Amino acid sequence: MCGIFGYIGRRQATPLILEGLKKLEYRGYDSFGIATLQSHIGIEKHKGRISEYGDRIRLNGTLGIGHTRWATHGIPNDVNAHPHTDCNNRIAIVHNGIIENYAELKKELVAKGHIFRSETDTEVVVHLIEEEYAKIPDLQSAVRRILPQLKGSYALLVIASGADYLIAARNGSPLVLGIGDNEYFAASDMTPVLDYTERAIFLEDGDIACMTRNGVEISSQGQPVNRKVELIDWSPEEAKKGGFPHFMLKEIYEQPLAFFNTLRAIDKQSLPKFVCQSPSVTVVACGSSYNAGLIFKYLLEESCGIPVRVDFASEFRYFPPPVDGLIIGITQSGETADTLTALKQARIHNCRTLGITNVLGSSVSRTTDATLFMRAGPEISVAATKSFVAQLAVLMQIIDARSEGRYEDTLMHAHQAIEEILLMDLSAAVELCKSAENIFYIGRGPFYPVALEGSLKMKEISYIHAEGYAAGELKHGPFALLSPETPVIAICMPGETYGVMVSNIKEVKARGAPVIALGCEGDQELPDIVDQFIPLPKTHPFVQVLTSLVVLQILAYRTAVALERDIDKPRNLAKSVTVE
Amino acid sequence: MQAVILAAGEGKRVRPLTWSRPKAMIPVANRPIIAYTIDALVKNGIRDIIVVVGYRKEQVTRFLNQLDLPIEVVVQEKQLGTAHALRQAESRIKGDFLLLPGDNYIDAQSVAKIKDVKNAVLVKEHPSPSNFGVVTIRDGLVDSIVEKPDHAPSFLVSTGIYSLNKDFFRYVRGNDITDAISCMVEAGTDISAVTADDWQDAIYPWDLLKLNLRLLKHLPAVREGTSSSHAAIHGAVHIGKGTTIGPNTVISGPVIIGNDCTIGPNCCILPDTSIGSRVTIEPLSLIGNAIVMDDTTISSHSRIVDSVIGERCTLADHTSTNTAGGILEIEGTPTRSEFGAIIGDHVKSGSFARFKNCIVGNNVTLEGNRDVCTRIIPDGSLVI
Repeated sequence: MCGIFGYIGRRQATPLILEGLKKLEYRGYDSFGIATLQSHIGIEKHKGRISEYGDRIRLNGTLGIGHTRWATHGIPNDVNAHPHTDCNNRIAIVHNGIIENYAELKKELVAKGHIFRSETDTEVVVHLIEEEYAKIPDLQSAVRRILPQLKGSYALLVIASGADYLIAARNGSPLVLGIGDNEYFAASDMTPVLDYTERAIFLEDGDIACMTRNGVEISSQGQPVNRKVELIDWSPEEAKKGGFPHFMLKEIYEQPLAFFNTLRAIDKQSLPKFVCQSPSVTVVACGSSYNAGLIFKYLLEESCGIPVRVDFASEFRYFPPPVDGLIIGITQSGETADTLTALKQARIHNCRTLGITNVLGSSVSRTTDATLFMRAGPEISVAATKSFVAQLAVLMQIIDARSEGRYEDTLMHAHQAIEEILLMDLSAAVELCKSAENIFYIGRGPFYPVALEGSLKMKEISYIHAEGYAAGELKHGPFALLSPETPVIAICMPGETYGVMVSNIKEVKARGAPVIALGCEGDQELPDIVDQFIPLPKTHPFVQVLTSLVVLQILAYRTAVALERDIDKPRNLAKSVTVE
Repeated sequence: MQAVILAAGEGKRVRPLTWSRPKAMIPVANRPIIAYTIDALVKNGIRDIIVVVGYRKEQVTRFLNQLDLPIEVVVQEKQLGTAHALRQAESRIKGDFLLLPGDNYIDAQSVAKIKDVKNAVLVKEHPSPSNFGVVTIRDGLVDSIVEKPDHAPSFLVSTGIYSLNKDFFRYVRGNDITDAISCMVEAGTDISAVTADDWQDAIYPWDLLKLNLRLLKHLPAVREGTSSSHAAIHGAVHIGKGTTIGPNTVISGPVIIGNDCTIGPNCCILPDTSIGSRVTIEPLSLIGNAIVMDDTTISSHSRIVDSVIGERCTLADHTSTNTAGGILEIEGTPTRSEFGAIIGDHVKSGSFARFKNCIVGNNVTLEGNRDVCTRIIPDGSLVI
């Protein structure tokens, strides 16, 4: 997913485009670029966020295009960032979508003597246009003639020196035109345009629009067509959340897909050798990622008998050597300062390092020997949900690779179990939690880190003091805090921990604390001893970790909604922590 | 022009398939029914679309999010009726608008016919009119409209698709659209009756098969997976990415198969079949005139015809469905039906289970070697 924005009018284009791209950052933010037209085309593009570099861009001109990228193929760097230009820097384009047949087109173009600078599929389009533009210097007809050669999806914006207009074309990727007074906009969606105009034209597949300062002409298959101008009156915020009240809920509902896509993207055969063979593993991470590492520890040690050490990245540097074996750094943004420092530290000790991140080309991939990417897509909500599940997908795939594909079937269908959780009604449990000042989460084995993550979500967004404990540890101190006002959430799944968990729950009940238990459906004993029983589907332990986790996320979300908290931007918190 | 799609209702008569999704989200030919309604609107250049959601609203919202077209979502907290649902969108409606149910199929041609007519209803003849709003017309104008009458005065029914104006809200008093239309007629407003070209509603779960057949008619042939060179594939067959078709499998279109499925070897897939994604069909099985949803496994030697199978089911070997007629009690009304089996989500059946005209609820576990005839098995049952 990428965002594109174009402008033609009387105002300076650069600040408008920067502002527009910022609004499209939810579609991707790993690199961005701008091209404007004066006497010639000027281009600035950078890896990183607009807020970091945007102020430094000094491009003049009242006609321009911009792009904010979320790389899926070809790492984000200055060269791969859009806009792309032809060999002579006379034509610039931005593109959202995928050109499927770019490899063959590239071969032909290289044979004709074109020089390619980037690894992107987009660059073939601009060279194709260059071929035609050299024959007849009419940009619109040049674009029209090359489009039939492209297979795949695209929303394109094209400018060229000597052509005082902006060409927009669409097939399969979103593109909308904003109609101002003697100024015109083109963007991936209405969000950035709404500040300037409410009038919009939605292009249809196959449409090409030629935008001048005096109007827009649209043609389809060479024939001029009339597309209706529509009045749009939604708020930009609504548009981005696509009907969900909060980004967090949207992302919770994207989890089945995030898990599945990530599994599919990690090819077990091509995992680096040192990942599959290392005799010991150390995980360094912060926050939610640390909890993911802890789950990984339990599951890998149990299924493969490999010792795993999990450390907070911020504390890692204070441990003296020896560290050896494989070091895995987990960070959603790829920029978490502590995790990066820890990984550098590991390299000093001559360890092989592996990064797991959601952002292709982020700092972590330059710090480590190898990087695995999760395919969660951009995550906006500060409280991590889908990226956490995607981290687990990567880690579980590593476990599967190290245990000869024993879990393949289980994992491939795991997202369906998450779907089932999304349908659950937790209102009774929310009722119990929302009036509490303190909540305890307990679990054993792999469910201990699940309890930690559940309590972290509750803290982050509902501001209720919540603590996760290994169930056995509760008696060693925290027991003193139990009272009828402190609900205890217990994860009590069948398996070796079941019996002890049940007696732990009974002990808690004896102190008068209300208990919400997550158990397996069909459990005969639990529903009678606890206040609230939440039945989860009967599945493999790996999947139970996922399902119980998602229940706790939803519980935290619903509680925060009931308390009317600012869910997507909780107080005092930032999405990625880039300072130590 | 604006369009309002109503997708808030559960569709109780289509249970058990509406446990995890509203009726508008039931996949037919591998896409939710509402997707076809949106298609018909977009083909007519109508892009200002409001969808009213309610029952399992997140499922609908998430699906709408995947479309590149921005769609406005309005929530109806309690499902009190169609007019009540429409009223939730009242503040967003500016002038003329189309009103459509999200759980019916309508072709683009019919939308084109009605969209420029002021105050009109799209009508169509139906063999069992008393399930719908029955319309009588005089000189091309609506004379009367009665919702679900005991004795229908004509075979002409309202498709639930209307072309209206914001003024319509003045007539809305109760919770039903048909009542408000009646009010309008009584008040002397002309409402044109426009005949639909192609419209289909699935009232009962077995009607989905008819809808499936209809939607597979114009299926383009797409081959993206890997098919064995010894597989015989004829007609319009869509095979999704990552799907493998084993040797000696015979597929005769129209058939749609989703992504990452494993079919065969030695399977036979007959026309009018939709198979979702990540479905496994083991050797020597036969599937025909059926909908099989995502993540379901059908073991070897099975025969699945005239049936709808939900998500995540595991049907053990030698499962068979036999088409038969019978009378089933749906929502308190005895209803004549003819089909093999309607199976909800996450059903497990043992070897040699035989279904005949039978509705199996969600999360049912059925032991093997049994005959189940003309029965409705409730959700979550264990049949021994």
